Amino acid sequence: MNGAVKTPAASPRRGRWSVTAGIGAVLWLAGLAIPVLPDQTWVFIASLFAVYAVVALSQDIVLGRAGMFDMGHAVYFGVGAYVTAILNLQFGWPIFATWPLAVLAATLLGALLAAPIVRLRGDYLLVATIGFNAIFVLVLNNNVGGVTGGGDGLFGVGAPGLFGWQLGSQGAMFYLNWLAFAFTLWLILNLERSHLGRTLGYLKLDPLAAGTLGVNAARYRVLAFALGAALAGFAGTLFATLMSAVSPGAFFFTESVTLFAIVLVGGQGSIPGVLLGTVLMFVVPQVFRGFAEYRYFVFGIAMIVIMVLRPQGIWPRSKGASR
Amino acid sequence: MDVFLQQTVNGLTVGGIYALIALGYTMVYGVLRLINFAHGDLSVLGAYVGLVVLGGAAGGGGTQTLLVALAFVAAVIVVGIAGAALEFVAYRPLRKADRLAAVVSALGASLLIENGIMLIWGPQLRVFPQGLLPAGYWEAFGTRISLLQILIIAGSALLMAALYFFVHHTRFGTAMRAAAIDQDAARLMGINVNRVITSVFVIGPALGAIGGLFIGLYYRQVYFTMGWTYGLNAFIAAILGGIGNIPGAMLGGVLLGLVNAYAAGFVSSSWQGAITFALLIGILLLRPTGLLGERVAEKV
Repeated sequence: MNGAVKTPAASPRRGRWSVTAGIGAVLWLAGLAIPVLPDQTWVFIASLFAVYAVVALSQDIVLGRAGMFDMGHAVYFGVGAYVTAILNLQFGWPIFATWPLAVLAATLLGALLAAPIVRLRGDYLLVATIGFNAIFVLVLNNNVGGVTGGGDGLFGVGAPGLFGWQLGSQGAMFYLNWLAFAFTLWLILNLERSHLGRTLGYLKLDPLAAGTLGVNAARYRVLAFALGAALAGFAGTLFATLMSAVSPGAFFFTESVTLFAIVLVGGQGSIPGVLLGTVLMFVVPQVFRGFAEYRYFVFGIAMIVIMVLRPQGIWPRSKGASR
Repeated sequence: MDVFLQQTVNGLTVGGIYALIALGYTMVYGVLRLINFAHGDLSVLGAYVGLVVLGGAAGGGGTQTLLVALAFVAAVIVVGIAGAALEFVAYRPLRKADRLAAVVSALGASLLIENGIMLIWGPQLRVFPQGLLPAGYWEAFGTRISLLQILIIAGSALLMAALYFFVHHTRFGTAMRAAAIDQDAARLMGINVNRVITSVFVIGPALGAIGGLFIGLYYRQVYFTMGWTYGLNAFIAAILGGIGNIPGAMLGGVLLGLVNAYAAGFVSSSWQGAITFALLIGILLLRPTGLLGERVAEKV
């Protein structure tokens, strides 16, 4: 990220990157065995990890890769979840049929909300996105249109079915989420090597220079927002099915803050970093439910300590990684 | 008309409190370009510390006014020290790092303080004792204004005027403004920038603590997650006025308090938050750096 010459990275770095990718692939394959484990609570936790990993990676597109301080990402996650829940419960659509619309709705909202604010300076953009999140939660709470179920949300979202097969079991649900997780990783790896990915990286590094080279900053930023929102919406529809319920509480502003923190604690633009961050912020709390009282207290201390010791995140983006 | 006047009084009261808390956000931002997310929680800490002092008021007689004054003093001292300690532990090591690292550290500090309050004083709502101050009020034009409201409005105005004078008409205030413009240049002029930053982290939270205690006295209850609610409002006030700008924070606070009050009085309180944020986003679109914020050209 030093802005060094843009030749393919030196071989040792390239090598280290392949090792990371290889270990990642092995871990993902090993994960396929999770439903076989005797303790079934892990299946649910692993599903939850997969869903939150997708949202966190989508937040990373906007924050870590395009450099926009988006602190309202839970909005798009929530839109995806609510579109699936509403279409399924109020209109009787099968789950898979709701997918395209859920993703589309999140994408459009992402682009629509981003368009007027991408020209704001960093911190002001952050505040505007906090505002979007707050308004979104109010819309849900006040049951606008009579379809959101108000403060209680909606219960009883059905299981996804395909050609008469019901993917209702925990195990089936897990494989669905695990595949979606792999799809997201594949998408992001491709984004890294694509024209769009490089442009966003350049925009983040030096917006002024990118502008003088003819990069239309506003357009690419809106595009990044739309892409991040699309993935978050996808994660949202998975979330609604996994929980078989949606409620405003899952999409509060605090959730956006957690996603924001995941990217920075893990490492901006770093896949292993963001995944580690997801484990720390979403999986560890699930495991330590018994210590609920002290949980966030310890979390707060951990966030400060990690940032002080590793300001770039636990696993910063390696300098040569496919850029 | 009655509702309008009454909501103006209420709005000015709450606006004064927002402005006091907003000053802490804006001062820190002015010097460090950091959104101190822990500031709202520091303010609430002030309310809780004050409540400890006031807790002994149960049986007291004429000494109660003195006790209230003592509560303010205790809150200011404890929160001032906490602010300085926070800066030393959580922000100073990150001054040279990426700006966002300090933001996450601030979010962590917010969680730490909020849950620290919960662990010490419990998760339940805490009620302020009754009848601490003489319950006087005046009525005019069908509007009622209580002694407490007058105290809050006058107290906030006085503190803000004092801060304005301090920043603009004293040597140390000049040093603060210099450090806000360019830390390196200020250091070359012989200004002890570290001392300036520490004092910003004492003054800001101390004002916030007074705001927090005002909230406790006005609404007569506190709870540990309150820092987010009030902190966010105060932060919005700072942004509305143009963050980093002290008169801007005052203007933003009063404006937000009034808008909130009118929204509650004329529209509906369930949409109050949405109106606040719509106002915020609208103003940011028209004036991207807030009402009184300077338009800064991008540096090449």
